[in-house]
Amino acid sequence: MLLTDGPMIDAIDLERTIGWTLKPEGLCRDDACVIVRDRSAIEVDGKIDMVEVAGLLDRPVAVDAGSNTVAIGSPRDKRRGALNDLQAPDFRLPDLDGTYHALSDHRSKKRLLVAFSSW
Amino acid sequence: MLQDELADHNFTVIAVAIDEDVDKIREFMDGITYPVLVDADHVLTELYAISNVPSVLLIDEDDRIVQPNWNAYATNTFKEYTGIESEDQLAIIRRWVLEDTPMMSADDAKVAVGDLSSEEEQARLRFRIATHLRNSGDEAGATRNFDLAGELAPHDWTIRRAMMPLRGEDPFGDKFFELAAEFNAAGRPFHGVAAERPQN
Repeated sequence: MLLTDGPMIDAIDLERTIGWTLKPEGLCRDDACVIVRDRSAIEVDGKIDMVEVAGLLDRPVAVDAGSNTVAIGSPRDKRRGALNDLQAPDFRLPDLDGTYHALSDHRSKKRLLVAFSSW
Repeated sequence: MLQDELADHNFTVIAVAIDEDVDKIREFMDGITYPVLVDADHVLTELYAISNVPSVLLIDEDDRIVQPNWNAYATNTFKEYTGIESEDQLAIIRRWVLEDTPMMSADDAKVAVGDLSSEEEQARLRFRIATHLRNSGDEAGATRNFDLAGELAPHDWTIRRAMMPLRGEDPFGDKFFELAAEFNAAGRPFHGVAAERPQN
């Protein structure tokens, strides 16, 4: 996920941006909540600091100050699930014509997933 | 070709190009019937701790990874460079599809791929920022972030090699040979199961 206007977003945009909402009980999605110990670190004057949010969700984050661009990676537990529990994390990517496919579209088949490149 | 041979056995190939050059990818894909996906943001290399191509995974009907990141080849195109015989690898894949025999035990598979370091995670994010800035015309920003990505993950081909065409560098120029030399000197690090190379 890329934010092109810095790490602070309007509180109202939080769910649309990352799928989680800030509630009295913490940072929540569906039935799951992550406890927010220091609320003032995450929410400042109606703005949400996405660097803090990424940290709470165990997602790596990088900020390029020069361009005010923020990149937020995938939750680390997805990769650790692949590596330690051999559970293939799902993903969705476009084909050469722009149509999206998910790994899970082909569930119930044996799949050979190959990462390749032209470089 | 594996896909045609095994399509009737509840099997499909899913190819993911760690690349953003759709025209170049298309050149490789003439006559291909399986999904070929484009991962310009390198989502897959982060999710599966992939550091070089080709990396092959075998995933069963229940989303279980029976063979993690494996440096396997469908053809002998690169045999002169890699020393790897693709026919041996294809035989392993065929055996799994037809007879359900995995190449390695689950216990071995669980320890086959080292997790990404925080530097390697950061390199992936910097690469993503760099390609975005490049595509929006901020060349200085792209350079700054590509440089950082390369410093953070100096032996990762999905970072170092993948950025070369995006920076207008000759893919077989001096930079490539420098990278290959650094990679060899570091013991050819690979997140996954390296193919066996003939001893000679």
